[in-house]
Amino acid sequence: METAITIFLGILSGYFAIGLLFALYVMLIGARKIDPLLADSKKGIRVLLFPGVVATWPFFFAKLFRFRRS
Amino acid sequence: MGLDYKWVLWNAHKKTYDRLILLGMVTYLVLFFVLSFLTNPEIIAETVIIRAFGSLAIIMLHIILAIGPLSRLNPRFLPLLYNRRHLGVSMFLAALVHGVFAIIQFHALGNSNPIVSVFTSNMDYGSLVNFPFQVLGFLALLILFTMASTSHDFFLHNLSPKIWKGLHMGVYLAYALVIMHVFLGAFQQDTSFLTVLALFLGLITLVSLHVRAALKEAKIDGFVWAKDTKGWLAVCHPREIAESYAKIFTVDGERVAIFKHEGKLSAIHNVCKHQGGPLGEGKIVDGCVTCPWHGYQYLAHNGQSPPPFTEKVKTYALKIENDMVYINPEAFPEGTAVTPISSGS
Repeated sequence: METAITIFLGILSGYFAIGLLFALYVMLIGARKIDPLLADSKKGIRVLLFPGVVATWPFFFAKLFRFRRS
Repeated sequence: MGLDYKWVLWNAHKKTYDRLILLGMVTYLVLFFVLSFLTNPEIIAETVIIRAFGSLAIIMLHIILAIGPLSRLNPRFLPLLYNRRHLGVSMFLAALVHGVFAIIQFHALGNSNPIVSVFTSNMDYGSLVNFPFQVLGFLALLILFTMASTSHDFFLHNLSPKIWKGLHMGVYLAYALVIMHVFLGAFQQDTSFLTVLALFLGLITLVSLHVRAALKEAKIDGFVWAKDTKGWLAVCHPREIAESYAKIFTVDGERVAIFKHEGKLSAIHNVCKHQGGPLGEGKIVDGCVTCPWHGYQYLAHNGQSPPPFTEKVKTYALKIENDMVYINPEAFPEGTAVTPISSGS
């Protein structure tokens, strides 16, 4: 069971660590690639959206990937 | 419905609801603190904080889960639905305080990482009664964090309404985890019988409300309308629809709202493009069908949001024969203009 817990917490930590880095990238550089409306909104809104991007980063990563291919 | 993102799309009602939420939370916490110290002067502040915020979060979670079925059973509860998002975020913040203080008090003083300690301090995972209940609370908090942090139109727009809605249905999983967290906690710790009884009654109430609402919806969806020779469905008399309001009908498995505006009838798809709100439960404001959930607006005759907005819903053809309103079940594409028909009233 301890191994399972270690693996679970490792995956969880990795998920949020990647999410943190990705959210920083989106909020500081990649906002327009994710959503043009975000680029046109006041900068302060990005603080509010930051935790949600950390939590759901795979969806935004996929969107960014599609943006790069188009 | 917007051209840029804002922190909150404030209006007078939202401010009132938020004040009520804050007032309710503060009143509950103050009462909890005063009563706790009066009844048990030996109790330490951290314990009271954990209990006060934990019980507050559970009460708020029950209210949040009751609002949906209550609104479907009685439209008078709809105003509560409009501000459920803020109630949800407030509930998460209360749960977060509970979780953080619990981790600090029970897991931060040892040698291991506090989060690891939550999972490893009790390794009785094979036991039903002694299962580590704090793990369940931690997992519930993770779900609630995901929901609270994505409670903004930015996520609805970018994740798609389907994914967003699916993500937020996680509240039921979180609720199940919270129920098990409290029940197991009660078995393993010295929790009062009244707490367990209150939680059990809350669970029964929520299940009953959801079943009643589901039965009501099933009745609407299961109704079979009389057809004319061309396959149009006879749904109601024109006078059954009040001016500036709608009646909802299920047509070929899709819900359609027939609105009366300035004595003329128009039919549009009942599902708002924003969060799937029931347009037919709203009313016409400033000439536009206005969604009761978040105020998204559409023109009844073409299902389009007024410029510069771009949302569109499907429209339907209507006719009146022998004092009956008939609807063609085949929808027009989203945003198609259809000339409204006179209701004769």
